[in-house]
Amino acid sequence: MATTTVIDTVSQRRPARLPIPQTVRGRYRTIKTAIAWALLAFYFITPWIRWDRGPSLPDQAVLFDLPGRRLFVFGLEFWPQDLPIAVGALVLGAFGLFGATAIAGRVWCGFTCPQTVWTDLFFTVERFCERLFGKGTLLSNIAKPVAQIALAVLTAFGFAAFFNDAPSFPLALVTGTAPLGAYLAIGILSLTTWLFAAYAKERICLHMCPWPRFQAALLDRESLVVTYQRWRGEPRGKKRAPLRPELSDLTALIREASSFDTGRGDCIDCLRCVNVCPTGVDIRDGLQMGCIGCGLCVDACHEVMTRIDRPTGLIRFDVEGSDRAGSFSQAKVQIVRPKTLLYAVLCLLAFGSMAVGITRMESVLLDVEPQRGQPFVQLSDGSVRNDFSFRLAHRLPHLDRVVIRAEGLDGASLRFATEEAGQETVALAMPGNRRISDRLFITAAPGQAPKGRANIRVIVSDAESGATLGEVETYFWGPAR
Amino acid sequence: MSEQERDPLTGQLTTGHEWDGIKELRTPIPNWWLITFVVTWVFSIGYLVLYPSFATTKDYARGLLGWSSAKELGQATERARDQQSSWRTQILATPLEKIEANEELRRFAVAGGQAAFNENCAGCHGVGAGGQIGQFPSLIDDDWLWGGKITDIHATIRHGIRDGGDETRLSAMPAFGEILKPQEIAATADFVLSLSDRSRDASRASLPGAALYETNCAACHGAKGEGMRDAGAPRLDDAIWLYGSSREAVIRQIANPKMGQMPAWQSRLDEATIRMLTVYVHTLGGGEK
Repeated sequence: MATTTVIDTVSQRRPARLPIPQTVRGRYRTIKTAIAWALLAFYFITPWIRWDRGPSLPDQAVLFDLPGRRLFVFGLEFWPQDLPIAVGALVLGAFGLFGATAIAGRVWCGFTCPQTVWTDLFFTVERFCERLFGKGTLLSNIAKPVAQIALAVLTAFGFAAFFNDAPSFPLALVTGTAPLGAYLAIGILSLTTWLFAAYAKERICLHMCPWPRFQAALLDRESLVVTYQRWRGEPRGKKRAPLRPELSDLTALIREASSFDTGRGDCIDCLRCVNVCPTGVDIRDGLQMGCIGCGLCVDACHEVMTRIDRPTGLIRFDVEGSDRAGSFSQAKVQIVRPKTLLYAVLCLLAFGSMAVGITRMESVLLDVEPQRGQPFVQLSDGSVRNDFSFRLAHRLPHLDRVVIRAEGLDGASLRFATEEAGQETVALAMPGNRRISDRLFITAAPGQAPKGRANIRVIVSDAESGATLGEVETYFWGPAR
Repeated sequence: MSEQERDPLTGQLTTGHEWDGIKELRTPIPNWWLITFVVTWVFSIGYLVLYPSFATTKDYARGLLGWSSAKELGQATERARDQQSSWRTQILATPLEKIEANEELRRFAVAGGQAAFNENCAGCHGVGAGGQIGQFPSLIDDDWLWGGKITDIHATIRHGIRDGGDETRLSAMPAFGEILKPQEIAATADFVLSLSDRSRDASRASLPGAALYETNCAACHGAKGEGMRDAGAPRLDDAIWLYGSSREAVIRQIANPKMGQMPAWQSRLDEATIRMLTVYVHTLGGGEK
């Protein structure tokens, strides 16, 4: 597999750089802004979406119900035992990310990573404050941290809203009735959001995040990365210096013959690409770990090339070897390659397993376990009783009453600890209760008890529809003699 | 060490020591390390004075704060009691027969009763209350020596059985080994064993033990062996034999009867705990209404 050189520029970053990157307009800035808005909207609005589940269940569409140990996602309800489905989601996410990287480089880092989105947002806030109150004024110096902290707290609140009933949550927070964990989560997340987005910024990407380190392994010669077309950029010079002749005369494009003495390249060393970069790298040094692939320098250079009336694309998304090819236009992207196909297949597999897993989720959990201690109880009329602990939990939209019967034991009667007399079947009301546990007694009539152990099946069905909800295989013990 | 000497190459001070022409640079321990070290000393001395720290041969230094983990446990237990107090008051205020009707109260009573049972009763009656044949009665079956209504169980737990108190459950069966002849006892045992066999209902009266049973046993155990709960006389016509169902076991029991004892728990447990125990035992499967 082809490998790509990634220059480590962490140690050689320029010491003097702008505190806030310059703004830029262009194609990638527009895409980045659109994606950021969409993601922020998803993050902040999702907990407020309502979803009717009936009177006894929360009506929040997406809710992590920690006390109830369940997760609601629209019509689905997940229990801890559904965790393998989450593994499917993680695998899907991982291979999706690998696939996207193989095709278009670090698009995750540049456009969708929360660190990128929030840092971008915080830069915007800083610029806005400076525009409003003037650069370096007392007011702007006060307004900046206030606005950023407010934003950080709002972010933390947005996160906590996924775990609480969003509409009643703000009031509960203010009146002090919210759970302690909510205050802790909001406190910690506010602090980290503020530290990460207002102070650490690109240092997270450069020093903390493992993802940039994987790049060398995940990129190949066909992946799109931000490239600087050295062949036409060098040597850099002032705008007024004469251009290398062969750059204007495209018919006589003989780069080998070009000489440094004869003129400058297309790069006029305006540093615009460096000044707009959110991580402050100089892309002209080549592909490097600090580059998050957001394309803002592409927009910046595009702007400058247009202004000095030169063909655009001196800095552009292209394959890494494009510099040697020496072309003014971008190489065609090879989307269908063995590597991307492999990732696509793996994504499909993960998605397929998830879909199968979700359709096969059990709606009723049934547990019938013999009580410890005595295997059986001799009753005075000669009948033999076995005691079981009976547990039933369900996530059906509607279940009022269940009927329980036992198979494999003739003339067996069933009852619960709180009920009077034994019957062949026993009904259990579950009004608004999704979990129930009780002591279940199964009694074999005199002479009907097995010698030793017998297999029985406890069957639970819905009292209204008669549909079987669950079956449990267990044992019934009788006296050995 | 006379004078401080500076190493010309690095510009650092030397220790002034020299071995075979080799000198050592002075690289003292960093201050942050030293300060941390001193702070740990100060902390440990403070801890030594305030908290239990070292043992003597007979006792240990208790520390100025007088803290002990046993005291802390006691306080935690007290706090847990306080948190339960509303439930316990409710258990005390609710008539016994009505506790089980209240679902929440029943669950609290059963959980607390089970804990108290395992601590106090399981030693004899077994974890799960299955009893031991020949020793201690099972509490999960439907046979009760002294009554299976919730009030009966409550009275039995409070006052015990043959425990000497005024209200304790008291009865005694004579040792017939001193009254009857061995063959009479054997005949009585045969008759007693026939009481639980429905197929012998008609033929039973002709057994040699019938008259002996009528004279000696029927007063307490009933003419048909139906037992008498007021006297704690067990049923003889059912399938449950606490002291064994073999002929030998029955003969032994007639000749020299075993009679169980249970302490009166009212002097050892508080009333709320006894009520929870009662509810637990009553819901084990044999409780009568």
